Amino acid sequence: MAGEARYLDPAIVARLGTIDLKARTIVEGFLTGLHRSPYRGFSVEFAEYRQYLPGDDLATLDWKVYARSDRHFVKKYEEDTNLTCHLLLDVSGSMGYGSGPITKLQYGSYLTGALAYLMNRQRDAFGLIAFDDRIATLVPASARTGHLRAVLLALERLKIGAGTNVAKPLRDLAAAVRKRGLVVLVSDLLDDPQSVLDGVKHFRYRGTDVVVFHVIDPYELTFPFEQSARFRDIETAQEVMAVPSAVRHDYVARMAARIAHYKRELGLAGIDYCLLDTSQPLELGLMAYLMTRRRVP
Amino acid sequence: MFGVSFLSPLFLIGALAAAVPILLHLFHRKTDVVVDFPAVSLLTRAPVQHHRRRQLRELILLALRVAALVLLAVSFARPYVAGAAAPASAPVTVVALDTSMSLSAPGQFAKAQQAAAQAVESAPASDAVAVVTFSDVATVLVPPTSDRAAALSAVAAATVGAGGTRYRTALASASEVIGARDARVVIVTDLQQSGWEASDEGGLPDGVAVRVVGIAAPASNLAVTSATRRDGTVVATVQNYGPDEARTPVMLMVDGKQAAQATATMAPFAAADVELRGTLGDAGTAQVVIEDNAGYQPDNVRFLALDPPPAVPVTAVVADPTGAVGGIYIERALAVADDGHEFAVTVADGRVLSKWTTAEMARQAAVVILGTRTLDRSGRELLKAYLAGGGQVLLTLGPDVDPGTLLDVIGADLGVAPAPVRSTGATLVATDSRHPIFRPFLLPSGALGDVQVDQHRRLKAQDGRTVLARLTDGDAALTEQTVGAGRLLVFASDLDNQWSRFPLHPSFVPFAVETARYLTQGRQQRHDFTLPDVPAGVPATPGVVRTGEGRTARQIVVNVDVRESSPAATSVDEFTKDITRTNRADDHEIVDVARDAEERQRWWQVGLLVMLVALAGEALVGRRAA
Repeated sequence: MAGEARYLDPAIVARLGTIDLKARTIVEGFLTGLHRSPYRGFSVEFAEYRQYLPGDDLATLDWKVYARSDRHFVKKYEEDTNLTCHLLLDVSGSMGYGSGPITKLQYGSYLTGALAYLMNRQRDAFGLIAFDDRIATLVPASARTGHLRAVLLALERLKIGAGTNVAKPLRDLAAAVRKRGLVVLVSDLLDDPQSVLDGVKHFRYRGTDVVVFHVIDPYELTFPFEQSARFRDIETAQEVMAVPSAVRHDYVARMAARIAHYKRELGLAGIDYCLLDTSQPLELGLMAYLMTRRRVP
Repeated sequence: MFGVSFLSPLFLIGALAAAVPILLHLFHRKTDVVVDFPAVSLLTRAPVQHHRRRQLRELILLALRVAALVLLAVSFARPYVAGAAAPASAPVTVVALDTSMSLSAPGQFAKAQQAAAQAVESAPASDAVAVVTFSDVATVLVPPTSDRAAALSAVAAATVGAGGTRYRTALASASEVIGARDARVVIVTDLQQSGWEASDEGGLPDGVAVRVVGIAAPASNLAVTSATRRDGTVVATVQNYGPDEARTPVMLMVDGKQAAQATATMAPFAAADVELRGTLGDAGTAQVVIEDNAGYQPDNVRFLALDPPPAVPVTAVVADPTGAVGGIYIERALAVADDGHEFAVTVADGRVLSKWTTAEMARQAAVVILGTRTLDRSGRELLKAYLAGGGQVLLTLGPDVDPGTLLDVIGADLGVAPAPVRSTGATLVATDSRHPIFRPFLLPSGALGDVQVDQHRRLKAQDGRTVLARLTDGDAALTEQTVGAGRLLVFASDLDNQWSRFPLHPSFVPFAVETARYLTQGRQQRHDFTLPDVPAGVPATPGVVRTGEGRTARQIVVNVDVRESSPAATSVDEFTKDITRTNRADDHEIVDVARDAEERQRWWQVGLLVMLVALAGEALVGRRAA
């Protein structure tokens, strides 16, 4: 955990101004740290210099190197891979829960914004789809200048929706995506596990890479309540009277079993799964993304 | 519809206490901690109590507690059902249906039922409906109800009887039904004239609307108005109430067989006597039957007892039976009763009486003392013992009575002034016209107002003495008191036409007969009764009835009242005019009716019982919840 001390606390990120600033702060801080870390080589600045060959774009010629060495070299950037990335953010009612200073939706939107920022730096095309039981917001994927601002603005305007139905928007999106790329799903996955898995696997069947960020609140993991209460489901309003001390063990076991189930099933399908609780640094999410990104051709 | 009312509605305020558990329930709900949580689905199968089930149990508990409190308040409010009975305040339409004999002509009662049913159906929708039938007595068939079907059913089930018509009895009953409600009364009747019995009381409350539906009487009616045995002959009187001459066969039936037959021919509105000769036994009953298919049916038969009832022995004690007038008026007057069969009058002076034994004296049902001047000591002792032993005595205070010996004769000081008082022109006035002796004088024709008393003896006021009649000068004329176990009537003048011309007045015979009947009541054995005056336990229908057991067993005959045989009717206007109006029943009467209904029904007990069940249920559910 000593390494994580270098990262920003999500609560501190939440106090920053616009999501633009938050995303930049997260990503720049993450990249700065990355250069000093054992993860060197993940830089997105450039990949290599190589000898100029006839036909290369003169705009890529490094004139400073030519001035020093009188030889023609061109810069080769990673972003030139021209990846299309779809950021899927769950805005269902359950994402509005937060036992600490930020909700799962806030956490998810910061993560999504940071990813968008990172992709923008890498010149990847990226789009945003916010959904609950239907697609609530759709920003089509693009790599043009100013697209980042459109995505960040959309993220800033997101509102909590109704019940979750992950499968349906995923199916709709899978049908729409023709070009192979990367799908990033940010959700608390509080839906029927089989529906979630079916929806996500849909992308894999079409050759699209998928990374799943399972955002969860610490209370959902540990159920630390003490007082007997009526627990009301945020989405369905179903109420259950419970004595926490009596049900905690059972609940935690069920939650752990569900997480393990997701991890196992997604892993078997070649899908990266990253569990993030809202008290954890957002940079962990970026790390997971870059791990996946490296695999994508 | 049944209407629920409350005797003590203020107790219903106590039902507000039911708000306490409701408020506690709501308060409890507000203090319940509710935590919004996204992963509740992972809790549902945990071993905890589901809130909905608990909520249902709490609601059941709440309902039981509220029910217990409400039932407690309702029970204390003393609920009662005012009936298929409509609420006591609802307006009511009372349908009074005449079921007397004068509606027994063929088809007549069906028309009356039809009219009554129409009255029920046409009653305002907001009105309750009550059905009363009446003849000699009135019967509330259906108390105020909103159930029209029940009222129609009662009308359809009503039957015509052989009783007389008593309009005031019907009106009194309708008035009782009405109470303090707004009401209208529909009277379905044949408007028979004889239905306004003078001695009846009853009217309708002020403001009650009356509609009279007249049912046409038959054009004529034949009736056997009397049947009397004279040795081997039965003399029957057949009355023709129609405007045309009528003929009818008259048959004498004995033991179900025809013993004689004759034909009676009657002029319009006239009667004819028919002699029926046949073989008649010494005992048993017979009936005289005529044929009259158009008129009333029950009066086509008249029953008669073949054996006259034993006459009731009555002794008249006179000063000198050989005198011209001693006891003759009393003797003749009592001889009229029931054609001389009712009383056996013995006239005895002091000399004869002194030879009687105590047993002979005790056999006398009553003694009329008209003179005491010839009574010796034994005679006086005999009379005194007779009275003290339960005898019935009428003492007159005429010139043949010696006031000085009355103490020895009666055994009590009567406070009689020795000197007679002249009271020229004084007449008799009954102080209580309902007394049995004066019942015949209620009609104007039988008034005592014309009876003049010239002299009388003054009676001092005494405790235990009731003045039944006075003279117009204020002195007591007829008194009643007990002496020992006996009863003594004292007439302040004489009954031998000396100080008073009363014996020559038409009212003397009924006075003498009714006085003798009053004194000898319980000793008479009448065989012949006229509706509605029948002995206790005898049905009020014409016919032969066997009463008593063993040595007291006897047959009696019950006949219809001949007044009911006259189809003469009054007009609707006259009928309506004759209805007496009374003050409305006040609130106290309504409360009494409500209290009676509540005490009969006792729903408060049921309420408390259900409350206890609710509390037991609450304890059971509460224990499970705990």
